[in-house]
Amino acid sequence: MKRLAAVAAVAIGLTVGLAACGGGQKDDGKSNGDSGKSSVTLTVWVDETRINALKPIVGEYEKSAGVTIKLEQKNFDDIRADFNTQVSAGAGPDIAVGANDWLGELIANNLIAPVDLSTVADQLDERAVAAYTSAGQTYGVPYALENIALVRNNAVLSETKATTFDELIAEAKATGTEGSVLLQIGEEGDGYTSYPLQSSFGAPVFKQDADGEWTPELGMTGDPGHAYAQYLGKLGAEGVFSKSVTYDIVKADFQAGKAPYAIVGPWLVADWKAAGMDVTVLPVPSAGGQPAQPFLGVPGFFLSAQSKQQAAAQRFMINFLTAKDTQLALFDVGGRLPANTEAAADPKVVEDPIVGGFLEAGKSAVLQPAIPAMNQVWKPWGKAEADIIGGADPVATWDKAMADIQQAITAAG
Amino acid sequence: MSNETGIDRAAAKRRRQATEAHAQSWGAGFFVKLTLMALIDALGVYGVWTAFKVGSTVIGTVLVVLLIVVNYVYFAKRALPAKYIVPGMVFLLIFQIYVMINTAYVAFTNYGDRHMGTKQDAIEAIVRNSQVLDPDAPVRPVALLLEGDEYHLAYVDEDGQAQVGGQDEPFAADPEATVEGDQVTAVPGYTTVQEAEFEGLGGTRPTKPVTDLLVPLSSDPNAGSMKVMATDFTRGQTYRPGVEYNEAEDALIDRTSKDGQEIVYKANNTTGQFEANGQRYPGGGGWKVMVGFDNFVKLFTDPEIATTFAKVFIWTVVFAFLSVATTFFAGLLLALVFNSDRIRGLKFYRVIMILPYAFPGFMSALLWKNLLNKDYGVINNVILGWIPGFEGVDWLTGSALTAQVSVILVNLWLGYPYMFLVCTGALQSIPGDIMESAKVDGAGPVKRFSKITLPLLFVSVAPLLISSFAFNFNNFNLIYMLTGGGPIPPGDSVNDPGGTDIMISMVYKLAGVGQNPDYGLATALSIIIFIVVGLIAVFSFRKTRSLEDVM
Amino acid sequence: MSSEKQFRDYTAGTARGFTTRTDADRRAAHRKAWWREVGWRHIVAVVVSIYAVFPLVFVVNMAFDPNAGLANQSIFKSFSLQNFSDLFSSRPFGQQLANTLIVGGITAIGTVLMGAAAAYAFSRFRFQGRRFTLTFLLVVQMFPQLLAFVAIYLLVLGLQEVFPVLGMNSLVTVIAIYLGGALGVNTFLMYGFFNTVPVSLDEAAKLDGATHAQIYWTIILRMVAPVLAVVGLLSFISSFSEFVIARLVLTQPEKWTLAVALYDMVGSERHQVWGQFAAGAVISAIPVLVLFLFLQRYIVSGLTAGAVKG
Repeated sequence: MKRLAAVAAVAIGLTVGLAACGGGQKDDGKSNGDSGKSSVTLTVWVDETRINALKPIVGEYEKSAGVTIKLEQKNFDDIRADFNTQVSAGAGPDIAVGANDWLGELIANNLIAPVDLSTVADQLDERAVAAYTSAGQTYGVPYALENIALVRNNAVLSETKATTFDELIAEAKATGTEGSVLLQIGEEGDGYTSYPLQSSFGAPVFKQDADGEWTPELGMTGDPGHAYAQYLGKLGAEGVFSKSVTYDIVKADFQAGKAPYAIVGPWLVADWKAAGMDVTVLPVPSAGGQPAQPFLGVPGFFLSAQSKQQAAAQRFMINFLTAKDTQLALFDVGGRLPANTEAAADPKVVEDPIVGGFLEAGKSAVLQPAIPAMNQVWKPWGKAEADIIGGADPVATWDKAMADIQQAITAAG
Repeated sequence: MSNETGIDRAAAKRRRQATEAHAQSWGAGFFVKLTLMALIDALGVYGVWTAFKVGSTVIGTVLVVLLIVVNYVYFAKRALPAKYIVPGMVFLLIFQIYVMINTAYVAFTNYGDRHMGTKQDAIEAIVRNSQVLDPDAPVRPVALLLEGDEYHLAYVDEDGQAQVGGQDEPFAADPEATVEGDQVTAVPGYTTVQEAEFEGLGGTRPTKPVTDLLVPLSSDPNAGSMKVMATDFTRGQTYRPGVEYNEAEDALIDRTSKDGQEIVYKANNTTGQFEANGQRYPGGGGWKVMVGFDNFVKLFTDPEIATTFAKVFIWTVVFAFLSVATTFFAGLLLALVFNSDRIRGLKFYRVIMILPYAFPGFMSALLWKNLLNKDYGVINNVILGWIPGFEGVDWLTGSALTAQVSVILVNLWLGYPYMFLVCTGALQSIPGDIMESAKVDGAGPVKRFSKITLPLLFVSVAPLLISSFAFNFNNFNLIYMLTGGGPIPPGDSVNDPGGTDIMISMVYKLAGVGQNPDYGLATALSIIIFIVVGLIAVFSFRKTRSLEDVM
Repeated sequence: MSSEKQFRDYTAGTARGFTTRTDADRRAAHRKAWWREVGWRHIVAVVVSIYAVFPLVFVVNMAFDPNAGLANQSIFKSFSLQNFSDLFSSRPFGQQLANTLIVGGITAIGTVLMGAAAAYAFSRFRFQGRRFTLTFLLVVQMFPQLLAFVAIYLLVLGLQEVFPVLGMNSLVTVIAIYLGGALGVNTFLMYGFFNTVPVSLDEAAKLDGATHAQIYWTIILRMVAPVLAVVGLLSFISSFSEFVIARLVLTQPEKWTLAVALYDMVGSERHQVWGQFAAGAVISAIPVLVLFLFLQRYIVSGLTAGAVKG
């Protein structure tokens, strides 16, 4: 009993002491908040490259708007999944960087809130705004446009005369390099990167309705799809494309001059430029007779439905993220065409031949479908392409994949 | 012989210490304990206090219980074993058991795609998202008014008349309002609120009530409504009729259709979504609800799931068994080989041995994936490339067999250092005097190894081998990073089992984690797996009981 | 231990017993014995070392290659320290290294203390529910963690309200979660070892009047020093390479552990800095190896040598 009493005494003493400290700190914090930092804090998830663009300039906005912007660095590939789980748990960030093809899923799960773009719509690229519009409502702010294009290593080949993809391969083979046109495929395939080729066969992923909106009805079934599948099979058998070629290998081999051409996005070109390469960006020539249309991707920022600071967040997005200077800063780190038209007209953007090349290649680009059904497409679609390149029967493999996708879309409703 | 003297001396020393300790029962140890307990109690009481202050009753209650238990354990004379177990157990209960129960609970819900959040979140998001701006309607200067804690809007219409309205209170003319130009400046009975009074804008008022405020333009619900611009609280915009939630009906009334027809989506509280004519509301998701044993029923009645699991079960067991067997025997062999200080550079060798373990695991998996690439990998090009006529093996994707062999070999590389460390420790812990006396009894090295070393080793590592088996049984990361469960034969669907798919990686596929997740189903599946592994483990653990009493 | 001793006796015996033989014979016999006892071990060591090291050669190669890529499997074409200097200049890598050492160190100590205590109780006391608790511990580890991150996230958010230090972006939280696993596999490891320590030792001490705490601290722990070192090392390593929980809790790069930082460098396909990653991986392996070198003494010669020397 004596011991217990002693313990109790010490415990009570310490408790009171600690509580006093804790209370004191809290009070201090509050008084600090009133005088110095704002009471409103916006948490923004940004990836490893874009954080470098925003960090140096966000301070000015904080000062002028009187809010605190907490930039949290996340891996781009993790943001979507983490946003889903954390926001649905009632927490997560206020704003997160993302891409327009997430839109359908985010809306279907009640995870994002609309952003009123009416005041800035005329300063933004029309297609970029369209990419963030669903059923008339605008969600999030776009900041750039990107698409796949053909890239030439000028050290290997200085001129491109080919107008079709077959001619391009012949031209590349004539240089005597190990590879001809590098295309990332990998074990799981990559429908996104190879889409310019597919679309040139008149086989879009989905059919579009009268307004140009994607419908959940597959457009790549039937003859056009079969023709594309057979073409892939042919290139696979000839060794032009291979399942062994992954993103890493495209990057390394092209840099090592092992092939004159690669079909890639602006992110890889930025790396090659940084490594001191001389490259030219061109439109992907048609393989199937129709124009090669890459997907148009529109990176941007989303506003969480769980954000308790809708007003402050929208102000930050409209007044800061879509602003010319911010988009130019983002251009500096990513090399993507800014969505802000004024920024896109800036000399440093206009005079950049790489951006010009991607712009040219992207003229025919189509918005990547943002409907939830797209989620069911990627995996079976990629696998079918990879299998066909690996030697599987083109038509049967393609048809099987299409049937699987159709079934999955029906099941998901 | 020398061993015994050592122990004798140690015993003598202890005896001295023991008598000293008994002489003063209020010894140093007790004061250490007292101080620690006082600190813990102080923290605990502080925690209980804060928990109830911020309304976390669960945490508060748990803390109270823990405090009572901990104090009882350390101040009561009984509960001796508990004194040693409780510290670890407290952490285990909070950070594992609690997490486990919370995770397991998901199996009884429909948590997943389109059923992620709460019903209230779903309603709020659907209503908000359905409000589409009318681009043709004018943007008007508005005044924010406060009546009690309800916000209202006021604007000046085309006739110069002040219109005042609030949430569910359509705009109506208020002749008593003061109008200056196109701006309402004051309305009797209301307080005018300036933008600068809001948080983040210079003041402290929360902005959420204002951004959520939706004022109907008239009593006709098809007339649309007005909202304050989020970026400018002094202007209001007109919105087209959207979706309204009717609480009495527990339904959504959708007025967005182009032909002006109203659709009523009733809330279905068993499926967790709004439905009309069997169709769910297309513009947004539902919410999470409890579905009881539905997920489990689905598992046992869906023939596809059953056959898939039957297919991968055997490989899962083989994989887990071979993973343990190869790493353990490699580790044991190396530990035996290096259990001799006559080898020069022994320290150096040992460091080399554990190198694979010192690098992050996910790096190793990525690294091996590239080394094993058919056309570009070093294994084919350099290690085996010198063999004449060798055309390269498509290790990870060629056939199920090569992929399985690769997975086992990579896992061996990743895992043998662990077993090496454990076995080295085990060999070193075998008391020397046992060996000495065996030697005195004339046992040869082989006999000593098989009769003493090996049995003793098994006493120490048997439980470890069981948990290693279980770990590999669920070694999702390795499979996922190295082969993704593949290769899936061409012609099979992406969700069919691949050559190296184990049960837990099939969970990932079947429950659509990554594309259209059904976390409820995924969790139910993993609980089944948990039960299977658990039973295997418990059964094997019972077998080790006989080993335990070897001494 | 015994085999070397035998070897020592054997060589000593040869030296004494066969003095009449020629030097050449003696050397030949000596060499033969050396091969039988030691030489072949070198061969095994070299073979295994190659197996252990060759994949890592590529990591080291990448670390010193400024244009490194994972697919770039040509060896030592260029040598530069660029990646290392980038690593420290472009990110708070020093801070991250320090964070990792703090988390790893405290977790290792906590795991050893709590795990060993529990293992002692299970091994030495026979109490009601003992077998059940052990089985329970074994089974708990088998719960698939694939989907646990949501629950952990919610738990941390809840705790944050009460104990801010146990909230998001705090190293303490990460340590606490890691310690939640202290009674996991490592307890079993130690429990197994404790069982190999003869109970007669405790009983003798008890007769001498030692308390349970004294037996634990001064006898048992000393006897199982090698396994304590092993467990400490294992737990240090596992917290060094754990990144799922750390990534969830630690939201600012200044708070990240190395595993999170390394994962971040290559986690997004479109932005991978393999050179810096490899440099970071090499650096991160160093503390582990240093700790191992330091602990080797205890692991290898902890108890037996100590007792022999008396």
